[in-house]
Amino acid sequence: MIVPFGHVLIFAGILFLLGMFCAVSRRNLIMIVLGIEIMLNSASLLFVASALRWQNMEGQAFVLFVLAVAATEVSVGLAIIVYAYKRTGSFDPSNFNLLK
Amino acid sequence: MFSFIGNYATLSAVLVATLLPFIAFLAILIFTRSNTRLSSRLSIGAVSVSLGCALLLLLMNWHLEKPIEYSAVWLVSSAVEIPFGFLIDPLSLLMLAIVAAISFLVQVYSLGYMEGDPGFSRYYAFMSLFAWAMLSLTVSPTILQLYIFWELVGLSSYLLIGFWYEKFSASQAGKKAFVMTRTGDVAFFLGILIVLYHIGNFSILEMNGPQAAERMAPSVLTLSALLIFCGIIGKSAQFPLLTWLPDAMEGPTPVSALLHSATMVAAGVFLFARLFPFFSLSPAAMEIFLAIGTISMLLASTMAMVSRDIKKVWAYSTISQLGYMIMALGAGSYFSGVFHLTTHAGFKSLLFLCSGVFIHHFETNDIYELGKLGARRLKIPTVAIVVASAALAGLPPLSGYFSKEAILAGLSAKANPLWLSAALFGVFLTSYYTFRVIFVVFLSRIGEEKPEGRSSDTAGGAGHTGGSGYWFMAWPLIVLAAVTLILGFFEIPLKSFLTGGVASVVPREGGAVSWAGHLALGLALFGVFLSWFEFGRPNARQIGFIESIPPLFKLFSERWYLDHFYRFFVTHVIDRGISYLCYQNDNKVIDGSIDKMCESTVEGGEVVALWHLSMVQYRLLIMFAVIALLSIYFFF
Repeated sequence: MIVPFGHVLIFAGILFLLGMFCAVSRRNLIMIVLGIEIMLNSASLLFVASALRWQNMEGQAFVLFVLAVAATEVSVGLAIIVYAYKRTGSFDPSNFNLLK
Repeated sequence: MFSFIGNYATLSAVLVATLLPFIAFLAILIFTRSNTRLSSRLSIGAVSVSLGCALLLLLMNWHLEKPIEYSAVWLVSSAVEIPFGFLIDPLSLLMLAIVAAISFLVQVYSLGYMEGDPGFSRYYAFMSLFAWAMLSLTVSPTILQLYIFWELVGLSSYLLIGFWYEKFSASQAGKKAFVMTRTGDVAFFLGILIVLYHIGNFSILEMNGPQAAERMAPSVLTLSALLIFCGIIGKSAQFPLLTWLPDAMEGPTPVSALLHSATMVAAGVFLFARLFPFFSLSPAAMEIFLAIGTISMLLASTMAMVSRDIKKVWAYSTISQLGYMIMALGAGSYFSGVFHLTTHAGFKSLLFLCSGVFIHHFETNDIYELGKLGARRLKIPTVAIVVASAALAGLPPLSGYFSKEAILAGLSAKANPLWLSAALFGVFLTSYYTFRVIFVVFLSRIGEEKPEGRSSDTAGGAGHTGGSGYWFMAWPLIVLAAVTLILGFFEIPLKSFLTGGVASVVPREGGAVSWAGHLALGLALFGVFLSWFEFGRPNARQIGFIESIPPLFKLFSERWYLDHFYRFFVTHVIDRGISYLCYQNDNKVIDGSIDKMCESTVEGGEVVALWHLSMVQYRLLIMFAVIALLSIYFFF
């Protein structure tokens, strides 16, 4: 392994925090979904790195599952967003407060 | 010497005697308030049964050898047990009989005095409460039980002094009596706590026994004796707290009679006698008691010399006679104090009841007014009041003479002649102010118009006073006058009865007794003569020698400015000092801090509410934060 495992850990952590920040702070539904995707990717990256670190294939298998889940999540999420846009005419998450 | 049957009879008699007035009180208040006749009958019936029981007890236990105590545990708190029960010894038996007898007579008298009063039932209810509290006080075996009934006595006297509560001065007087006695009672309670801390229980017998001296250091003993004595000062209206008693005259006159003779103020002296062996363990405290008794006796006598209100004169004389009792007990003469309490109960209630007849009939309290209106036309009260006054002044062969002589004998046993001379001076003052009232009321000629026809009418008796009301008032007078006449001759049997239970009695010294006694008699006669010269003789100016010295007169009639001092003290020290500080503390510190706490809670709530703006992202943020915190918790 050329890249030290610690570096991968730090990189994945930063990526995760960036995704989290994006998901929490942006006032746009699409950007929230994007932030969640980035967080998933950082987790996947960590799985791959650990699989390499401990010479174990289960990590890579998990990543395949995560990719599948991410794909479905994006398709369902975008569908919801499109529907929401049709209802309210904007992407602002503060419009969706019927459960308040 | 007592069989089981005897004990059983004693117990049930005490139970009946102490509980019946309470039952009457409840019954009157709950059921018979609208029916005045039934109420008064209930109350009088209850108290007469109590009287019967008390007399029976007195006869049954006349040769009592050691005190009988019955008690049942009421409260248990780790090491401390608080029992409730009865303590039968000569003192409590004697006091029980006095209280029951005076209550009975006063209640009969009230049938006439309170006739037609709108609060008639309420009056009898409170009278029953008063009788119950005082009767139970006398037989209390523990100091705590005594304290409870002590407060009940204070409560019922508050209710009765302020009985005519529509009258502003009456309700004020009731309040004053309650607050001033309470002031002393706080100290009394502290004293009880000290005793509890050192002795470990409340039992009066243990306090009086040898344990007290063993378990308490002399300084602690003196401190607790002084604190308990503060309660006596409040209750018996002694020197610093004496001004409530004259104001208590606002109540109905029978109430004053009861209050002044057998119940309220007597409770203080009774407590002193009850704890006499305990108090006498501390000579320093006894000296202070003696001084306080002397000061109150002299102060009150001087106030009585200038008062124009007949009831107030008797009120001051009560304070001064109580001062005598405290002096006697403080000088270590147990019997003479209790004996004077007994005789005083008789003649002082007689004085008040007689004055009540005059007040009821002529509707004025002023002695000069009474004199002008011709008070002497009421024959029975006139004779009775003269008898009682002579007893108060200490003239033989009335009861007051014997008891006062016993006190003087007790005082002459003290090494310091100051006390004896003060007491002798007090004897002179007493007879002077007493006969001042008598001469002004009965020998007054100023402006007295006496129609001839009316005098022949009254010659046949109290015809024009008419009605059964007058006779209800007259009979107790006759009974009490008879008691006053003969009670003095029971000195020796009473003494053997009382001192049978108490070991420490100062022996009388024969020589000093007769010397002091003769001198006292001479002084009393001189006082009578002086007041006759100034008020009684034909063409007398009816102006006392005090009135001719204006500053002195002002001082005495303003009660030595004690009330002014209290007023000043209350406004400047308590209202503007302590209360003001407490008010500021309450406003600024307590209210301020609570307000700040509320405000910060509200502000915190507003901050928290920002998270709940129903933004999806905030929830997400909270989820992240929670997970982060949880991971910190689990991994580190």
